[in-house]
Amino acid sequence: MTLTDVAVAVQISFTYFTIIYLTGLGGLFSERSGIVNIGLEGLMIIGAVTGAFGARYFTDTLEMGQPWGPLLGLLFGAFCGMLFAGVHAVATISFRVDHIVSGVVINLVAVGLARFLSQAFFGQATQSDPGGPHLPDLDIPLLSSLPGGLDRAFEGLSPFVVVAALMVIPVWYTLNRLRWGLRLRSCGENPEAARSLGIRVSLYRYQGVLLSGAFAGASGAFLASEVIGNWREGQTLNLGFIALAALILSNWNPIRLMFFAWLFGFAVAIPLRLNDAPVINLLPPQFIRMIPYVVTIVAIAGFVGKVRPPAAAGKAYEGGGSL
Amino acid sequence: MNDGAGGVSSPPLVTLERITKRFPGVLANDAVDLELRTGEVHALIGENGAGKSTLMRVLYGMYPADEGRIFVRGGAAKIGSPRDAIALGIGMVHQHFVLVDPFTVTENIILGDENEAVLDMSEAQRRVSELADSYGFQVDPGKPVEELSVGEEQRVEILKALYRGVEILILDEPTAVLTPGETKELFGNLRKLCDAGKSIVFISHKLDEVLEIADRITVLRRGKVVGETRPSETSKAKLAEMMVGRPVLFRLEKPQVALGDPVLRVEELTSEGKLNGVSLEVRSGEILGVAGVEGNGQRELAEALIGLRQPASGTISLDGRDITGRSVQDIRNAGVAYIPEDRHEQGLVLDMTLWENAVLGRHDDREFSSGLGVLFIRKIKELASRLVKLFDVRTRSIEVNASTLSGGNQQKLILARELETDPKLLIASQPTRGLDVGAIEFVWKQILEQKAAGRAVLLISAELDEIYALSDRIVTLYEGRITGEFAPDAQPEEIGVGMLGGTEQEVA
Amino acid sequence: MAAAGSAIAPAAGSGVRSDRLERFVGQALALLLSMVIALALGSILIVGYGENPIEVYSAILDGSVGSVDGIGYVLSIATPLIFSALAVAVCFKGGMFNIGVEGQYFVGMVTASWAALELDFLPAPLFVLAVLVAGMLGGMAWAAIAGILKVKTGAHEVVTTIMLNGIAISLLAWAINFPLKFANAPPGQNVDLRTDVFSDKVRVGDIGQYFGVTPGAHLSWLLFVAIGTAMLVWFLLRRTRVGFEARAVGSSPGSAKAGGVSIGATQIRLFLISGALAGMVGMQQILADKGYLGAAYITLLGFTGIAVAFLGQNNPIGIIFAAILWGILSRGEVALQIGTDVPREFIIILQGILILSVVITYQIAKRRLAARQLQRSGAAGALEDSTAFDERLESTGSQDAEEAARPSDGGGPG
Repeated sequence: MTLTDVAVAVQISFTYFTIIYLTGLGGLFSERSGIVNIGLEGLMIIGAVTGAFGARYFTDTLEMGQPWGPLLGLLFGAFCGMLFAGVHAVATISFRVDHIVSGVVINLVAVGLARFLSQAFFGQATQSDPGGPHLPDLDIPLLSSLPGGLDRAFEGLSPFVVVAALMVIPVWYTLNRLRWGLRLRSCGENPEAARSLGIRVSLYRYQGVLLSGAFAGASGAFLASEVIGNWREGQTLNLGFIALAALILSNWNPIRLMFFAWLFGFAVAIPLRLNDAPVINLLPPQFIRMIPYVVTIVAIAGFVGKVRPPAAAGKAYEGGGSL
Repeated sequence: MNDGAGGVSSPPLVTLERITKRFPGVLANDAVDLELRTGEVHALIGENGAGKSTLMRVLYGMYPADEGRIFVRGGAAKIGSPRDAIALGIGMVHQHFVLVDPFTVTENIILGDENEAVLDMSEAQRRVSELADSYGFQVDPGKPVEELSVGEEQRVEILKALYRGVEILILDEPTAVLTPGETKELFGNLRKLCDAGKSIVFISHKLDEVLEIADRITVLRRGKVVGETRPSETSKAKLAEMMVGRPVLFRLEKPQVALGDPVLRVEELTSEGKLNGVSLEVRSGEILGVAGVEGNGQRELAEALIGLRQPASGTISLDGRDITGRSVQDIRNAGVAYIPEDRHEQGLVLDMTLWENAVLGRHDDREFSSGLGVLFIRKIKELASRLVKLFDVRTRSIEVNASTLSGGNQQKLILARELETDPKLLIASQPTRGLDVGAIEFVWKQILEQKAAGRAVLLISAELDEIYALSDRIVTLYEGRITGEFAPDAQPEEIGVGMLGGTEQEVA
Repeated sequence: MAAAGSAIAPAAGSGVRSDRLERFVGQALALLLSMVIALALGSILIVGYGENPIEVYSAILDGSVGSVDGIGYVLSIATPLIFSALAVAVCFKGGMFNIGVEGQYFVGMVTASWAALELDFLPAPLFVLAVLVAGMLGGMAWAAIAGILKVKTGAHEVVTTIMLNGIAISLLAWAINFPLKFANAPPGQNVDLRTDVFSDKVRVGDIGQYFGVTPGAHLSWLLFVAIGTAMLVWFLLRRTRVGFEARAVGSSPGSAKAGGVSIGATQIRLFLISGALAGMVGMQQILADKGYLGAAYITLLGFTGIAVAFLGQNNPIGIIFAAILWGILSRGEVALQIGTDVPREFIIILQGILILSVVITYQIAKRRLAARQLQRSGAAGALEDSTAFDERLESTGSQDAEEAARPSDGGGPG
């Protein structure tokens, strides 16, 4: 294992940070409005299959070329994720289905729906052709001139990574400095209070859930078209749940979420690049692949006692199933 | 006694004309007429279920009236939502506050009525300070609500309404959660509001307070108005009679029983800041009343005694045996029964049937289940039928879910279940909350019967009436400590001092 | 108590039957309604493909239950689903979401395979029993991890069980790569990664042959084990202390605790039972179907089990029927491909719509039912403070009765 290996691992971790962070931000908006959303994985799946299709369609079929093609592909994935999240919204807000039950259903249906869409888009049920179009990579200025192999960490990144990292600013500002954010948070902390003041709680919750679909869908689209290059069933690797864990551990705070998203992103990168690292190279390859999941479990088991979910959403986390 | 700033001759500010409101199976308001005048405190009284809250919620736009009309300042008013009500200058402070705990005082006050899309918190705080000062209210606009005392929270609720320019303020059971001292402060604030031209509707069932603060009093019973009067023309007994329809006995016959050895002994009990060294003792044949405003450790004390909460330090002993920190099962087996203050959270499983609830806590007994774990359904149902009959739990059958019972009947079921075990010690925490007079009487009789049978009863209650009616001895609980011990004939003012921590305060 | 409108309790029994009957009828109707909705929505899609819905649905039915073979396949598909759904339902009754059945049955397959390879010396019936037990123990152990984490650290089981699923997949891959890897590959052939083929002694007998079902359907007597297990689970939940405590904890943990029930012990117990059931899920495949443990096992039986559990409304008997229904749909997929222009993926969509509509319809039915029962009991009880009334409405989840009375100030599109 060389320094270059570590640097590349860091580069990969930035990529997975993007995925986990964006999905986590989606979950953030939903849960702070009071709707628990464990269907993030399913939303990502839909984003992935539609995003892969969108990238190809806009770039090649409509011949819009770079960068508009892939960009529209990403937006298309986000849009479809939002539509699919609408199902969760209607079920939980209008029909008051238990949040976790609905989330589980979203995940179940997403797998089947993705197969259906894949067949319709690509003629194959479980994957699309490799080598799909994606945004041109960029190198981070200054940091990509570091010596000793460290420069690899900041080279060849999708511009979407930068976008994701910068997202923290508008998200934080919206939640804490805008009237919309105050009202959204009140729906998650005490919807009774919000309602008594004339705030249409359902409306804000719909917005929160639809936003979560948009973010998670964009994240999935990014994974499919920018990272892997095609859609393949199972490619989301439970990253949606890892994002959920990161969200919980960050205490639903967009700034803290960056740290946990990156931490888990790095854990995902380990089996991809650091197989030869000391200690790790003692494990059989299948065990190395377990690392991201083990890290997540240890983190969540160790620190979950210290977090405090939005009061209204928290009830769904504790309450028994009501089916 | 008050004569009020609003004289008899001012025209009505708000008129409710023949308001009728129905819920499934219940006629909550029956052709109610009510007039509110400028600058007066108008008390609306009645027992639980009389329809007082419902009536005001209709006025506040939370429910539409099925029949009747509302006039505000002489003009017919259509109040379809709280927004409409507020636009007309009507505001309401509910019994259970609706504040967002993690938000600051200012954020809570401006929520929903923020002036611009981008928030300017320092400007908002300044506005809130100004408003509070103009009425002489003490608040810290930057403090998170979860750090406030109950009295302060109430002030925030009132400020919320004032911020929106209400002229008419409806207060639903405002003193239920206040100490006598905080109540005094509230009444002072209300007087200031009236002097400033506001009108107040004061919903309560506490007759002493009503007689002290109100200019006029309207009495509701079973959804109908049964009388309207002034404090100078009536008395507590007369009001009570109007409320219930018959002369009410405020005291039941307390059985004379020789007190035995101490059954329960608690020494220096502490628990995470809520209990700070509680010591008390209850003897067999004795009812010890623990008086205090909610939030001073009552719930934690009850939970520690039944085993739902592990005390940090201190000891609890039953008949000389140490039961500190033992499991709920062990403590119950030792002879302790528990009437919880929240019958839904710690009493019944609402989604289970009556017979399942009847055996909860005893389902481990060999009488009701085999060694391997199979339940003896028939025996259990027999038990349930017997309990239901004995305690007159009104229900169609024992197969229905507990959720279908009324609050009073739910409480009766819990009582029946707990008393059936012949406990040495009964812990009764707010046992008659939310019950109507008939159910209250029933519960009180049962508790007195426990005393007559030589058992020990620890009664925790925020209702002084209840404490007086049942206790042989009274102690006050304040901030997790016992702050005073009183004889059953002590004056409320003395007890009030104990409820405030035992310090010398201007109570009279 | 002279309450206005108080009714004298009618003769014991008459109210009982109508209450329970109403609940049962309500649930059955809800299920029926959701199926109709799903079929109707599916029809729209079918028409979009240019086919006739009646023909398509007939083709599905024909391909599944239209022949003896078909029925055999349907029941064979249903067998592991019953175990999987029971595993989910047991935890659900206790208020927990076990979505780790997938991982638990993987581990069960690994432990069962180990037993199948190592315990060859046992006589046949004991051998089979030992292998099944090994499978259950594997599932139990895996589920116990999630259960203990939840009880000791409060880690929410949704996250931990999914992570454990991921770990289990790798664990299985490792198992068939190293310790359990085949030792005796047939000479000259390229074999997919798997264990050795198990001895015939441990193969679970095909019962299809007695009914004229092709052996290809692999209909084994595990079906009867599954149905029997469902009955056992029903008995456990309704007639034993364990089930009683589980339901109390799932419904109202505070009241259960105040009644002396240990919440942590109950939760761990449920995870163990659930894990044992999950461990049985893979037995059909490795003992009846293939006869070895192979690599290509992403079958999603664990997740499908969740769907079946929801369809069966977490009732063991309902689960049996739901599993059969699912088997019909799955088997019908093949018929679709052969007989119509509708792609086989349509079945997946239909299944998805069905799950959604069941979950939503059931929720609506539950609240309407509760509101009506409340209404009836309201006439028999005393008048109460409207806040207490609201409380009751909320606790039975029928806020719509109150919301209907309240104008839409906070309702929004809801």
